[in-house]
Amino acid sequence: MRWSKALVTVVLSVLFTAIVAECQPASVYKKKYVMGTVFEVIAYDESSQKASAAIDAAFNDATRLDGIMSNYKPESDLSRLNRTAHFHAQRIPPDLYRVIEESLVYSRLSDGQFDITVGPLVDYWKSVMRGERSESKAAEEKLRSCSGFKRITLLPPDRVEFQSSCLRIDLGAIGKGYAVDRMAEVLRSRGVTVAFINAGGSTIYGMSSPPQAAGWRVRLRDPSGKNAPEVLLKNNSVSTSEQTSPDLLGGSKAGHIIDPKTGEPVKTSAAVSALANTATASDALSTTLLLLGPDRGTSLVKSTAGSAAIWINSAGNAETASGGPSISVGENAGSDIAAQAAEIHRAH
Amino acid sequence: MTKPQRIIFFICVLYAAPGWARVFLEWTQNVVPPSKTLGINELVIPWEPKRLAFIQSARAQGYHVYIECNLEEAASLASSAARYGAAGIIVNPGDAQLQSAERAMRKLRAIHPQINFLLLNPNAIQPQMKGTLVINRDGVLQVTSPTAQPWLDTNLALLRLEQAFRPAQVPLYTFNWTLLGSARQQGPEVADYELAVAEAGAFKADLILPLHESLQNGLARNDDKAWATWREIGKYLHFYANSPNNLVPEANVAVITDDNPESFEPINLLARHNIGVRVLRPNQVSESSLKNFDIAIVFPNLSPQLTQAVSQFAASGRTAVLVNVNKKSYLWHSSKGIENGAASVSYPVKKGRVVELREPVSDPETFARDIRGLIDNVKIKISLWNALTTVGVLYREASNGSKTVELLNYSEDPLEVQVRVKGVFPQVWYESPEGGCCKSTDPVIRDGFTEFQIPSLKISGRVHLSRANPHASFQR
Repeated sequence: MRWSKALVTVVLSVLFTAIVAECQPASVYKKKYVMGTVFEVIAYDESSQKASAAIDAAFNDATRLDGIMSNYKPESDLSRLNRTAHFHAQRIPPDLYRVIEESLVYSRLSDGQFDITVGPLVDYWKSVMRGERSESKAAEEKLRSCSGFKRITLLPPDRVEFQSSCLRIDLGAIGKGYAVDRMAEVLRSRGVTVAFINAGGSTIYGMSSPPQAAGWRVRLRDPSGKNAPEVLLKNNSVSTSEQTSPDLLGGSKAGHIIDPKTGEPVKTSAAVSALANTATASDALSTTLLLLGPDRGTSLVKSTAGSAAIWINSAGNAETASGGPSISVGENAGSDIAAQAAEIHRAH
Repeated sequence: MTKPQRIIFFICVLYAAPGWARVFLEWTQNVVPPSKTLGINELVIPWEPKRLAFIQSARAQGYHVYIECNLEEAASLASSAARYGAAGIIVNPGDAQLQSAERAMRKLRAIHPQINFLLLNPNAIQPQMKGTLVINRDGVLQVTSPTAQPWLDTNLALLRLEQAFRPAQVPLYTFNWTLLGSARQQGPEVADYELAVAEAGAFKADLILPLHESLQNGLARNDDKAWATWREIGKYLHFYANSPNNLVPEANVAVITDDNPESFEPINLLARHNIGVRVLRPNQVSESSLKNFDIAIVFPNLSPQLTQAVSQFAASGRTAVLVNVNKKSYLWHSSKGIENGAASVSYPVKKGRVVELREPVSDPETFARDIRGLIDNVKIKISLWNALTTVGVLYREASNGSKTVELLNYSEDPLEVQVRVKGVFPQVWYESPEGGCCKSTDPVIRDGFTEFQIPSLKISGRVHLSRANPHASFQR
């Protein structure tokens, strides 16, 4: 009798485990090369087919947006705008209008440090970096005279005009973030609520939290390797910016992040990670905060709800600022994350 | 048939002869379809005494069966391999060093000259475009990165080292699949198999392709889906089985190394950036062995012979980069060095220079980019655009100077890739496993370079560049 009771218990527990396992959401992981980087998505859902189809739809949307915002594709809407909007208002797709509109918000907030019109200067310095041309003050000056976010005029609901004959927009500092936000919308619209979207590691968005966890743990970039900074994402995003590292062999000293005020590559060894409620915001903020530095950037972070930032230089000096969420650093990283996790649990 | 069509047909026929890259199929299950049905001849069976019967049944199915075993087992299996009817023994040296495994193989070959011994490099990786996600036991840990450039897991560096250190054998390698989530049960995607086959073919190496057990079982029980998958993979097997041979890889950069592990990542990143690299052992280096390179990167300590070669190389107007240089005095120190920040110092040597890096290469990505920057643009043998996920390897036809470019797209999504090859080649043809042989493309000849576009590179393709007469160009 005791044996049969034990057997029933074992069978029931095996069945229970099987049922629990059956109800556990399955994880689906997919990756795709788009916008010049690898987008990765992990989604949890009870139906792996549903999650897989939702991820595919999200990737399709990123590909669609690349066709709109790409600077490399001559047939993209952005390339067409860059060819034709000088002194003539051009009608553009709603996504392009929206991302330009959001870019201008960050340009105003940062007093021009974030500027999507530095594209020609970025290209100039890239070709210097590749050794295709040498530095020329005259060329640099000419290109600087083309740029300036105030020379973009938005004509709602869907038209844009450039007030410069040589202005050109580059959405490299915000486009991926915008695409990540749209991908999250696509996943939600298809009933997937737990997901993690990673655009090449430089912009990341955590939707809800993975099973048995309070959020998505993210280790942040630290050029010194001394601080082990981490954040816990739950319906928010983190982005990281860092200037191209200086060369080792005595070639060019250029970099890919240009300071709009000077027209030259910014000289800093720091990496900046910025948290924000949306990926568009974190993407724009990280570049802006790299240019502003901690002294000027702190007030911008504190005035932006849901944002936080950490600057870490190659010597390992770290400075943080927060308008809400926390970033844990060093030995406290684990306990800070635990405290943050508890807080997230309480809030939800 | 028009004249151009006849020419293309002729080229295709010429290319139908078997070439170098062989794919061995690793089979771990107990039933295998016949060789004729699968369309493959070489089967590899990991050694277990209980699989003896299977080895014999696989032979009866028409396969050349190779037994894979470790170094110790190889010694004892050698005498019985012929009795089992094995076509050869593939020795997996495990963690043994390249050179010690090579010594052990030489001994085995001397004792058993009738056995075909092949040495396997089991340290390859699954070719793939990688993301940055790290999944640990606690869930997902994502490491942020400031550069969004995709990372490619490619085996080109491993094979370049193999070619330098085991020149007697065509490199033979294998890897384990890295599968996440539901893919662990279902196995790799078709495109993953195709990329693996294409990589070995493009790099002119032999591959043991591990077939996931779900695919092996599906093929064995005649499952339609499994056979549909296999037919797709078969296009790639066929394409690379018919590769041209007598091709010599072209390189701008010579890397001199004694197989020091510190040289691996720099070579890997150079390959990733499509900078043609040839690896030389220190004892191979001389003025003549360096004559076709623009840059020489030197990892080992300088012997007097190496010092002399480096000095002559620089004096002829080129750049030698010495890594992790100790404070010894060298010939070129008689010139005043120019400091490049804290990391390196450059010494002019007649028309060229020697750059001394004070430490090992800590950032291979930056190092590779810098090496690219040191090569004069007019000397770059191959350049690719819109190709962050593409590796292109340029080969020269040994007899007539025509060129072949093998292209691999690790993203597995069609890309429009632009290519520029040094030299004037008015005739350019493209072929691919999906599209077959051969489409003529319209090259643009500019400033001594040939430029062309591949409108849709899916996983892999091959470009033939010829100076004039295609009949002459494609003779092998």
